[in-house]
Amino acid sequence: MNTKNYWKWVSSTLALAMVFAMPLWAQEAVKVDSDTISGLGARNIGSATMSGRIAAIDAVNEGKRVTVYVGAASGGVWRSINGGTTFKPVFDKQPVQSIGAVAIDRKNPKTVWVGTGESWTRNSVSVGDGIYKTTDGGDNWTNMGLKESERISKILIDPNDSNTVYVCVPGKLWSDSDERGVFKTSDGGKTWSKILKGANGSTGCGIMSMDPKDPKVLYASLWDFRRKGWTFRSGGENETAFSGSGLFKSTDAGASWTELEAQSAKGLPAKPWGRVAVTVAPSNSNVVYAAIEAKIPTDGLYRSDDGGKTWDKRDRSQFMIWRPFYFANLIVDPKDENKVFKVNLGLILSTDGGKTFSNVSGATHGDYHTVWINPENPEHVIAGDDGGLWISHDGGNRWWKSDNLPVSQFYHVSADMDRPYKVYGGLQDNSSWVGDSQYPGGITNSRWENLYGGDGFWVFTDPSDPDYVYAEFQGGFLGRVNRKTHEARIIQPQALPDFPYGTAEKKLRWNWNTPIHLSPNEKGTIYIGSQFLFRSRDHGASWDRISPDLSTNDPEKQKQEQSGGITVDNSAAEMHTTIYSISESPKNVQVIWAGTDDGNVQVTRDGGKNWSNVTGNVPDVPKASWVSWVEASPHDEGTAFVAFDRHTFGDMSPHVYRTTDYGKTWKRIVAGEAGVQGYAHVIKQDPVAPGLLYLGTEFGLWITLDGGQQWAQYKGGDFPAAAVRDLVVHPRDHDLILGTHGRGIWIVDDIAPLRNLTQDNLTKDAVFVDGRAQMQAVSNFSGGWAEGDAKFSGQNATEEMVITYYQKKRHIRGDLKLEIFDDQGKLLNTVPGSKRRGLSRATWDMRLIQPKLPTAASSAGFAGAGPRVLPGTYTVKMTKDKDTYTTKITVGIDPRAPYNAEDRKVNFALAMRLYNMLGDMTFTADRIKGVLDAANEALGKLDAKDPNKARMAAFVDAVGKIRKEIVATKEGGAITGEERIREKLAELYGTVALLYEGRPTKQQSDRADAMAADLADVGKRFDALLAKDLPALNKGLEKKKLKPITAMTRGDWEKKDAPKVAGGAKPGEFDALPSAGMNIGELMEHLRLR
Amino acid sequence: MLRKTLVALMFAALMVAPVSAQTLDEVLAKYVKARGGADKLAAVKTMRITAKASGGGGPEIPIILEQKRPNKVRIEFTFQGLTASQVYDGKVGWSINPFGGKKDPELMGEDQLKGMQDQSDFDGWLVDPKSKGVTAELMGKEPVEGTDAYKIKLTLPSGTTQIVFLDADEFLEMKSESKRIVRGAEREEEGFSGDYKEVEGLTFPFSQEGGPKGAPPASRQKLTIEKIELNVPIDDSRFVMPVVTTPPAAPPASPALKPEEPKK
Repeated sequence: MNTKNYWKWVSSTLALAMVFAMPLWAQEAVKVDSDTISGLGARNIGSATMSGRIAAIDAVNEGKRVTVYVGAASGGVWRSINGGTTFKPVFDKQPVQSIGAVAIDRKNPKTVWVGTGESWTRNSVSVGDGIYKTTDGGDNWTNMGLKESERISKILIDPNDSNTVYVCVPGKLWSDSDERGVFKTSDGGKTWSKILKGANGSTGCGIMSMDPKDPKVLYASLWDFRRKGWTFRSGGENETAFSGSGLFKSTDAGASWTELEAQSAKGLPAKPWGRVAVTVAPSNSNVVYAAIEAKIPTDGLYRSDDGGKTWDKRDRSQFMIWRPFYFANLIVDPKDENKVFKVNLGLILSTDGGKTFSNVSGATHGDYHTVWINPENPEHVIAGDDGGLWISHDGGNRWWKSDNLPVSQFYHVSADMDRPYKVYGGLQDNSSWVGDSQYPGGITNSRWENLYGGDGFWVFTDPSDPDYVYAEFQGGFLGRVNRKTHEARIIQPQALPDFPYGTAEKKLRWNWNTPIHLSPNEKGTIYIGSQFLFRSRDHGASWDRISPDLSTNDPEKQKQEQSGGITVDNSAAEMHTTIYSISESPKNVQVIWAGTDDGNVQVTRDGGKNWSNVTGNVPDVPKASWVSWVEASPHDEGTAFVAFDRHTFGDMSPHVYRTTDYGKTWKRIVAGEAGVQGYAHVIKQDPVAPGLLYLGTEFGLWITLDGGQQWAQYKGGDFPAAAVRDLVVHPRDHDLILGTHGRGIWIVDDIAPLRNLTQDNLTKDAVFVDGRAQMQAVSNFSGGWAEGDAKFSGQNATEEMVITYYQKKRHIRGDLKLEIFDDQGKLLNTVPGSKRRGLSRATWDMRLIQPKLPTAASSAGFAGAGPRVLPGTYTVKMTKDKDTYTTKITVGIDPRAPYNAEDRKVNFALAMRLYNMLGDMTFTADRIKGVLDAANEALGKLDAKDPNKARMAAFVDAVGKIRKEIVATKEGGAITGEERIREKLAELYGTVALLYEGRPTKQQSDRADAMAADLADVGKRFDALLAKDLPALNKGLEKKKLKPITAMTRGDWEKKDAPKVAGGAKPGEFDALPSAGMNIGELMEHLRLR
Repeated sequence: MLRKTLVALMFAALMVAPVSAQTLDEVLAKYVKARGGADKLAAVKTMRITAKASGGGGPEIPIILEQKRPNKVRIEFTFQGLTASQVYDGKVGWSINPFGGKKDPELMGEDQLKGMQDQSDFDGWLVDPKSKGVTAELMGKEPVEGTDAYKIKLTLPSGTTQIVFLDADEFLEMKSESKRIVRGAEREEEGFSGDYKEVEGLTFPFSQEGGPKGAPPASRQKLTIEKIELNVPIDDSRFVMPVVTTPPAAPPASPALKPEEPKK
C-alpha cells in the first residue's frame, strides 16, 4: 500500500468508525459529574454566633505565637496560626468531616495527626473513616489507615520519635467491629498493630494518656458501649451486667498491659464500669487521675500518687459523674499536679488535687469536651464545648468566645418570604435561630437572632402571621414565639387523660427531633407528630388527632427509662417508635405522608380518616429501617419520595425510593453504583423541574438532573463533605438553602440553570443557560462596621447581573469574553468569562464606565463608577475563540425600591447629564493644562532679556489661576479640603448616580444647573484669554523659531481620551483605592503576568 | 464484526494514550515547549503589556506592565487622571501612589515588596527553576474545576510557596495558589489563567483573575490583556527609584534584601 492509499484507507476507516459509533454516542447520556454542576457557587452564611460542638483541640507554641488546631464534631479541622484570632478550615477536601482527635507532633509542628469520627457518642454523632496525617501544616492530608475504626478518641505521639504513634480507637458505635482498641505504629503510620483489645466486639479504647517524662508509660481505658435507635449503653446492658470496660497501664510502650482494678490496684471501685477518663500529671509521673463510671456511689474521681498502684477516692460532685459517655475527659495543668479540669455540662476545676471542684464555666455555653492548657503559660487555656471554642487568659476563670468558627450543627432549615428572605433553623444544643440571607456589609454574627431554647430542630415562620414563629426543642416541646417580644406560648399537644390509671395511652412519644410540618395548601395549618399525627388550624390553640399510632409500637423499643448502661441517661434522645417525617401533598390537601423512626411509611388520601401502611411495598429495605424523610411530590399527588437511614444499624449507605402510585410500588433511585456516599437525611424534588432531585446525606449534597439515573456530588464554592440534614428551594428566589450539621447554612444562589441544563444543552460545546429573573438591588450606603479580624462574616450574593453558561470542556485558547449591548445595539461593556468545564458564571455590574476626571492633586471620591443602566433587556454576546453565542437578559427594578421606572429614568437623565458635564469639565481642564504646560515650556526657553518673557509669565499666571478654579492643586498628602469645580461636581454626580436611584432632589437638579453655568463661564473666560493673549505670544515664539502654543480641540481630546466601556466601583471605595482597592503588588500576586 | 473490532481498537487506543507517568522534568519541558520553546523565550529581553483590570466591584483601570530581564518590573495604572506606579528594579521596590495627594516615590513595605519579588522573574519560575534557586516538586495529578492538571509545588527564594496547575493535555497554566509568609503570617492567594494566544511564536494567557484564596469568583480581580509587545526598548532608568526631595522612610524590614541608595 503506497502512502496515498494508506491515508485514503485511514480516512475512510475513520469515517466508517464515526458513522458506526455515532448512534452509540447519541444513545449515551452525557456524563453529569461534580464539575458539571459545581460552577454554581455556594456561600456560607454561618453562623459563628452559635458555632458548634468542638470535640478535640491541640495547640503548640511556635516561637512566641500559638498555633491551634481545632477538631469540630462534624465540621472538619480548623487551624489558627495566631492563637485563635483567625481560623482556616484545612480539612475541607477530605471525604468526612467528623473529628475525634487532633495531635501535633512537638518535634515538627507541621506534622499533625487527625483521627476522624467523634467519640462523644450522642445520638446525632457522625462517623469517620480512619486516621489522617499532614506534614505541611494541613495543606495536604493522607489517610493513614484504620479506615474501619469509625471513631478515634485520642492520638499520642512519642515525644522522642515522631514515627511512633498510639491511637485510641473506641470503634463502631452502632455495630460490632474488630478495628477497636489501642493501635500503634512505629513507622509513621505505614503499618499498625493492635496493642490492646477489648473482651468483645463492642469494647474499644475510651481514652489514653502518656507520661511525657517516660513515654513508654501509657494509661488507657477500655470502653464497652453501644447505641441503637432506641437505647444506649455505656458499660453493659445495666449497672450489674458484664462490661468490657476497664483501666490499663503499660510501662513498655504498649508491649504489655496490666489491668488496674479493685484487686490489682487498691482503692479502685468494683466493676462493672462504663466510660473511664484517665490522665497522668505531666509534671509528676506518680500522680494519675481517673474518673470512673461505676455503680453509684462508687463512681467519681480517683487519684493515685504512686503511678496507679493504689488509689484514693476524690470528688463525686454532679459534674464529675454526670453523663460519662459525653464527658469522660480530665486535663491536668502541665506545671501543677494538683490543678485539674473535668469537662461536663459545666467545666469544673480543682486546685487541691481533686478533693473539691468549682464550676469555672463563667458565661460560656457548656457541655465541655476538651481543654488545652499552654505548657509555657498555664494561665492561657483553650476549651471546646457544644457552643464552640473558648479562650481564657486567667487560668480558666473568664472566657473569650471564638466568633470565627462557623461549625454550627443545623438539624433543619426553612425560609420566609421577606426581601431578602430570612433563614430559620434549629441546632444541636444551640436553640432555634433566624438570620439574614443578605445584608449590607455582610451577614455578620449579629445578623442572627435566637428565637427559643434547648436543642433546636424544625422552626418556621407562621405564614398566616409573620409576627410569629413555630419553634421546638427536644421532645416536641413546641412553642409559638412572638418575634418582637420573644414571648413563647407552649402549644405541644397533650396526652389523653390517663384515668383511671392505665386505661388510656401512657404518654405521647415525641422523637428527639420531632417533626413539625406546615401545610403547603392551607396557610396556617400545622402538623406535629408523636406516635400520632396532630393537626391544628388555629395556631396550636387546639389540635385534631388525625391518625392512629402510626409506629410499630414495639414495646422492646420503649424502655428508655432503662437506657444508659451503668448510668441511666434518659434525655429523650433515645425516644423511639415515633413519627419522624411528615409531608402533605402540595397537589392535594387530603394526601398526607408520614414516616416513622421504626420503619413505617404511612399514607392517607382522605386527610387522615384512613391510613395505609405501605412499608411492605418498598423492595429490599430491611424492617424497622428509620424513615429519615418522606416527601410528597410538588408535581403529582401520587408521587412521593422516601429516604431510609440505616446508620443506626451500622449500614452507612443511602436508601432512597420513589413511588408514583401512592406507595403501591416503589423504585430505588439511588442505586449502589450511583456513587452516592453516606446515609440519607433528606430527599427533595425541585418544584419546577421534576427530574431535578436534591439528596442530602451524611457526606454532602448530591444532585440528579434525570430523576436519579446519574447523581453528582455538589462541591461548588468549596462546599465540604458536611452532613446535609435539610434543604429548601426558595419558592420565589430559586436559591437552594442547605442546612448542614457542622458547617452552618449554605446558599446556592439561583439554581434555575440546573433546571435548564437539558440533555440537549449538555451535548453542546457551549451554551447560555437561563437563570432566574434578575433585578437591580437598591443601593446601600451603610451596613456593617469594623469588627476586627476575629469575627466570622457570611458572604452576600452578588448584586451584579449574573450570566450563566455551560461549556463541555475547559476553555484554554483564544478569547472567552462576554459583551453586553443595549437594545440599540450599543456596546456597553465587555467582561471576562470563567473558563471552567460545566456550568460557569460571569457577572456585570450593570454600570457604564466611570466618568472621566481631569488630573488634579488627588483622586475624587464619589466618581469612581458610571451610572447604572436602566432596567430593561440587554443582549449578551459570548465570544469563545472563533465561535459566538448570543442571549438576552432582562433586568427589573428591586421590588423594595421606593421609586418606579419613570423616577428611575429621571434619575438616570440627571446622572448622565452630570456624567457628561464631568467629561466636558475634563476636556476644559485638559485643554487648560495643555496650554499651561506649553506656556511653561516656552517660558523656560525664552531668554531673560526677551521682551516676551514677562508677557509669557503673566499669561502662565493667568492660565494657572483659571485652572485652579476647576481642579484642586495642593499636593503633599494632607487633607487639604481644597474644593474646586472638579471636586464639587464629582460629589454631586456621586450622590445622584451612585446612591439613591429615584428622583433627584430639587436642590440636586438646581445645583447641576448652577455648576453647568460655572463650568461654561470658566470655558468662556479661558477662550477670551486665549483670544486676547495667544496671537501676540505665538508671534513672539515664531520669531525665536519656537513651537507656537495651541489649545486642543474637542475632537483631538475625544480621540485621545474619550471613555470606552467599563465597570465601576461603589462610592466610598475610591479614597482607599491606592492601599486597599487596588494594590498592584497584591494584584500581581494572583494575576501572574508572564 | 470487522467494524466492531475496529471501533473497539480505536477506543482502546484512545483510552491508553494519556496514561503515562510523567516526571517533573518532562512536565516542565512540555510546559516550556507549550510556551514556545526555550530559545524563543530566551530571545525576549523586554516586554510591555497593556491591559485593563476590572471586577471585584472596582472601577475599570488601564494598566501598563513593563518587564525587563532578569527581574525588573514596572506597573502603572491610571485612575481619574492620576497614574500610580509600582516598580521593582531587582533590588529596590518603590511606588508612587498619587491618589491621596502625595506624589513622591516611597519605598515599598515588606508586604508589597515580597509580592513584587515573587512575581518578578522574567520567564516565570517554571522556566529553569533550579538555576533560580527555586525548588520544584511534581505532586501528581489533580483536577482543577473538573479538568485534569499536573500539580507542581514551587518554593521560591523568598520562602513563598506556589502550587501551579498545568493543563494535563496542553501543559499551560490553569491555576496557581501562593502562600507568602509576611511577618510570620500567611497570605494566601489564588489565580486563574486562560485565553491563551500567540505573540511572535510565544504563548501568553490573555485573561487572568485572582484574589484571596477561596474568595467568591464575583469578587476576584480580573485582568484582560489587550496587547503584548516583545523586545520594545525600555530603559533601565524606568526602574530606578527617582531622587526624592525628602529622605525616604526607614528601609523595609525584609531581611532578604536591603534597598540600595537611589541612583543619582
